[in-house]
Amino acid sequence: MSLAPSRRPAWLNVLAGAAFLSVAIGAYLGLRVSPPDVNQGDLIRVMYAHVSVAWVSFLAVGVAALAGIAFLWRGRSRMDVISVAGAETALLYGALTIIGGMTYSKPTLNTFWTWDAKLTLTALMVALLAGVFIVRGLIDEPQRRGRVSAVILIVVLASLPLNYLAAEWFRTLHPAKAIDLTGGGVTIDGTMLTILLYNVVAAGLMFVWLLVERVRIGMREVEIDARRVQADEGSSEVVRV
Amino acid sequence: MSDVRALLAIAWKDLRSEARSRAATVATVFFSSVTLVVLAFALGRDADVMTRAAPGVLWVALAFSGVISAAQAYQSDLIEGAFEQLLTLPVPRAAVFLGKLLTNWLTMTILGWVLLPVTAILFDAPIGSGIPILLLTISLGTLGFSIIATFYAALTANLQARESLLPVLMFPVVVPVLLAAVRATDAIVTGGDPSLAGDWVQLLAGFDLVYLVVTSAIFHIVVEE
Repeated sequence: MSLAPSRRPAWLNVLAGAAFLSVAIGAYLGLRVSPPDVNQGDLIRVMYAHVSVAWVSFLAVGVAALAGIAFLWRGRSRMDVISVAGAETALLYGALTIIGGMTYSKPTLNTFWTWDAKLTLTALMVALLAGVFIVRGLIDEPQRRGRVSAVILIVVLASLPLNYLAAEWFRTLHPAKAIDLTGGGVTIDGTMLTILLYNVVAAGLMFVWLLVERVRIGMREVEIDARRVQADEGSSEVVRV
Repeated sequence: MSDVRALLAIAWKDLRSEARSRAATVATVFFSSVTLVVLAFALGRDADVMTRAAPGVLWVALAFSGVISAAQAYQSDLIEGAFEQLLTLPVPRAAVFLGKLLTNWLTMTILGWVLLPVTAILFDAPIGSGIPILLLTISLGTLGFSIIATFYAALTANLQARESLLPVLMFPVVVPVLLAAVRATDAIVTGGDPSLAGDWVQLLAGFDLVYLVVTSAIFHIVVEE
């Protein structure tokens, strides 16, 4: 029983091209167009790559958790596949964030690691996602696996803001005094802010493309598993998921 | 049987079972003592460092013991399929979760209260005058640990490699509780700013509440067939 090849949709190639192009333009903007920082000179250019992937990594975790909740609600395999895809890209982007952070902190702070809130949070997020994948690897039955992984992702989502707050206030002295939600304002030069936002959009576009590709692969895997089950049971009906 | 009575019945069952076998008690007491001694040797070069590290050391010992204790909570239930039989009873899943949580929390709190003077002595860290709030802080901290540990122990109960998997899953989630508990303990013991200690204790209680609500709500998915 051969798998009917599904045509790769044209818009997917357009998306891929747009993603790579925007990342390239973002890199050019960050490396050449952006002015050097008053204090940190050219080192600030790492910030564009680092902050953009950091924001998108948390977006990815949100996507993974929401897809997991959707899977708990309706049980559609597509939601579980989206959840896994989101978690994988979150892990990738989280790892990139940490690498970028270490690249940035060594020259500026003369240390590869500081236990500041954001870096700690990212490290914990990577550890949490690794846990999701370990547990998924230990459960064979797809529905159960999807439900357990969704449950873990819900706890992960709940823990992220708590982790950030705790890590933020751990080093500073007083949690009560630090609860200031009026917003500190963005103290960054206008051009740099624009370039940063552009890089965030570029990273986001790349994330969307990676997600779509991974979901396509995942849905094929689901289809293969379903056909294998059908073959075992001796049925010749075509499977639609 | 009302939900609360079911919850208490489950907690009482686990307590009685533990009182008879003492498996978890022995394991946690022994392990936490070993942790304290090892850390005392590891940090012991500088007496000032030891004194300042004492709050953190206490929570390290409690954290590791908490993992052991949680894993033990489900061990006896896995024998003879006792847990599945428990689930066939018309008891809401959240009551089962909270019942197990209650027992785990009680044992951990007692352990914490016992470890407090032991740590203070071994690490030459005077407790100061805030003993009631210190006991409260320990109770709130162990509550946070127990919530996460009981939840994940149920999740990993019938998975392979569960002993090593439980700490891997637990610790990133438990970090806010750990941080808040350590800061609160430190603030109380050093006794500088009473409002600082109060704020950290409130924060700890807040973290506990969030985790309690989330885990109770989704526990039924973890134990469904």
